[in-house]
Amino acid sequence: MSSPLFGKFRSPDGKPHMLGAMQTLDVPMHRYADGEEVDYAIVGTGAGGGVLAQRLARAGFRVVTFDAGPFWDTERDWVSDEKGSHQLYWTNRRVTGGSHPLALGENNSGQGVGGSTVHWASFTPRLHPSDFHIHSLDGVGVDWPLDYADVRPYYELMELELPVSGPAYFPWGDPHGYPYGAHPMGGVGDALIRGCTALGIPVSAGGPVGILEGSRADRPHCIYRGFCIQGCKVGAKASTLITHVPDAIANGAEIRANCMVSRVALGSNRRVNGVFYFGPDGRELFQKAKAVVIAGYSIETPRLLLNSACDGFENGLANSSDTVGRYLMAQAGNVVLGRFDQPVRMYKAPPAHALTEEFYETDPKRDFARGFAIQTVGPLPISFAKQMMSAKGAWGWGLRRLLMDYNHWASFGLLGEILPHAENRVQLADEKDQFGLPVAKVTFNLGDNDKKLIDFGKNKVMEVMHAAGAEEVVQEARYAHLVGAARMGNDPQTSVVDRFGRTHDIANLFICDGSIMPTQGSANPGLTVMSLAARIADYLIIQGNAIFASDKRDMQTSPIRYDLSPPDTWGHGMPRPVNHLVS
Amino acid sequence: MTDTTARDADLRPVDPATGKPLGPMETPGYYPRYHTLDQQKFWDAKTREVILDRVNNVPPIRFFTPEQARLLEAVCARVLPQDDRDDAHKIPIVPQIDKRLYEDKGDGYRYEDMPPDREAFILGLQAIEQMAQERFGRGFLDLRTRAQEELLKALHDAEPWGAHDIWERMPVHRFFMLLVKDCAENYYAHPYAWDEIGFGGPAYPRAYMRLERGQPEPWEVHERRYEWEPPNASLSGEYESVAGQEEQYGSPGQGGTH
Repeated sequence: MSSPLFGKFRSPDGKPHMLGAMQTLDVPMHRYADGEEVDYAIVGTGAGGGVLAQRLARAGFRVVTFDAGPFWDTERDWVSDEKGSHQLYWTNRRVTGGSHPLALGENNSGQGVGGSTVHWASFTPRLHPSDFHIHSLDGVGVDWPLDYADVRPYYELMELELPVSGPAYFPWGDPHGYPYGAHPMGGVGDALIRGCTALGIPVSAGGPVGILEGSRADRPHCIYRGFCIQGCKVGAKASTLITHVPDAIANGAEIRANCMVSRVALGSNRRVNGVFYFGPDGRELFQKAKAVVIAGYSIETPRLLLNSACDGFENGLANSSDTVGRYLMAQAGNVVLGRFDQPVRMYKAPPAHALTEEFYETDPKRDFARGFAIQTVGPLPISFAKQMMSAKGAWGWGLRRLLMDYNHWASFGLLGEILPHAENRVQLADEKDQFGLPVAKVTFNLGDNDKKLIDFGKNKVMEVMHAAGAEEVVQEARYAHLVGAARMGNDPQTSVVDRFGRTHDIANLFICDGSIMPTQGSANPGLTVMSLAARIADYLIIQGNAIFASDKRDMQTSPIRYDLSPPDTWGHGMPRPVNHLVS
Repeated sequence: MTDTTARDADLRPVDPATGKPLGPMETPGYYPRYHTLDQQKFWDAKTREVILDRVNNVPPIRFFTPEQARLLEAVCARVLPQDDRDDAHKIPIVPQIDKRLYEDKGDGYRYEDMPPDREAFILGLQAIEQMAQERFGRGFLDLRTRAQEELLKALHDAEPWGAHDIWERMPVHRFFMLLVKDCAENYYAHPYAWDEIGFGGPAYPRAYMRLERGQPEPWEVHERRYEWEPPNASLSGEYESVAGQEEQYGSPGQGGTH
């Protein structure tokens, strides 16, 4: 290993590379030489790829992780400004259609190191135990090849690693508490607590959210400026850019930013041997790897597999089941807005700071399966203007007048479970992107259960807004959080990967992001994606060279590793025993 | 031709008590003497650079022809009217739309039934011009405000009276939403608009501290409301849901908020 060490993170002006207001990245980064084979090529640095790369690097594997966007310096690159933050989103071409077409862009994938965790609002609830078995319990969707118990220790670990702030006791699903205290309420949280309390609905104040309410190590606490989804310059909001990627680099991983992976290469014996990618200068290059992990979000992951079609996999790599791209899901994310007589100023405080999961589970008294959460959202002026356009049809002087009342409005989000449908899918369109690669075409339709759930949920959220004292309540249809499109399962005929993220078709090709989720519950998916990534990492680590040398599938679950967390995970926050840790 | 003086007076909002037009003024809205730009020394350097560039450097027109740009100016003047603002405090919209299209920057997706944004704007302007000629026998630029608004309201209501060949290629409600979205994205990105609506603006590294009860920060101001009505002739003060939105799961909104 005689490769040069360079790439010390310095700005051209000699200032340190900043990851938040205080945290710097001042370790040199290993660079693998051209032509050098690595153990793992990982595509994506977000919730899945970031956590996986960190753990594999700590365990001593040789890792290169690709991101299509830049390696952000939060001081140099990010702004406290809505319009100026467009660069954080995946804005390359895509086509969207179906009976209920999804708005993409700022609403899902990120582009740049940290992926979508850079612009998530960082609500970090867990799935409920029931989410893993909705077909057995409710006769809808599909069961996971995992139980809640498989993921629970990883939830606990990720809640420490991010860490997550929230109440000392969270009553829904598997009741639990959070390692950092709850946040204070902003105007929108006030309204949600008021409305829920008036109706006798239990509500969680101040989390769970992956935003520091007290400082930890070099990460300052939240300053309540409300620009969470524009990228947290403070460094209070967790993103893999600041939580896991620095530790990956410190342990020898190379992060290759501004590199767009175009194709996974199939070698001999139905095994992959690397990835083709477009480097920062636009040249197509090849990285040789003993195994490949795709972690590109639910649109780019299936797109990459479909674009990697080759002899033996004419319909897309690892797609013998014709399931790649299918069962794409988004949660119902209707935004309900209420106007209050007294000012609210909803731009202050993180958009994510209070929620209720009281309606999460299937209720036999309702005419649909599964349920929804109600959460705070805090749109900044441009988002609010767009919501008023679609909720009220406002334009012209009417729009000007409504926006003059911006400070009087509060907004809540429905977060409802939409079931997996085979026809909701990612395919390749005829048109090409700037690299000449076919772009993704996304098709989305609601089913009957979905429509009933949205109807009921939207009305319930409006009822809460009224109960909070709003004099006028309106809503707009919206969808959030794409998952699925490369789902995991036990049956190779109906799923793409097994319960360790390994593709059924190719023994050294893995998927490690939200794409593998068979269903989505009504919890924001980020924490689940990270927890699954840590679990997949433990499996890969214990399998060791067997992944590189053998097609044999060991389906034994490995014990959780508590020694792979980034520095400062332990010994901070509230003394909360982690379930499997007490010894 | 229309009498321009009378026309300008008609365009301003009205004080309902006196019936007199309001403005033009430096800052419409309910937050007197509130200027986010006064706080710029408390912003981080990059944010200050981006926002001052937006305020001080209006991009040149490079995508649209001069004729198209003039037509779009007239359209945007009704879609997001600024007649209550004095000339020094009008917020440039068309140059920013032009910049976006010149650089071919989009939101990251195109509806299956829509052409790419560049083509959508060109087609939409053609359709507006055709509809003006068809009903009024004049170009959109030469119409009185009321007629211009009638035409735009027909797009809003998804009931265009002409240019059907174009609306067959591009759903009218999607074009109208695109148009309003681009106007709103640029208007409400400007510090002058933040002053109007009482938005605190950038707050890093200083922070917000008064989170509760809608209290202003020490450097923000309390709201002072006044009554106003849209100009007498205007059709955009009242509105109904945009066509295509009646079904509650219809076209989704686009604000990324959770």
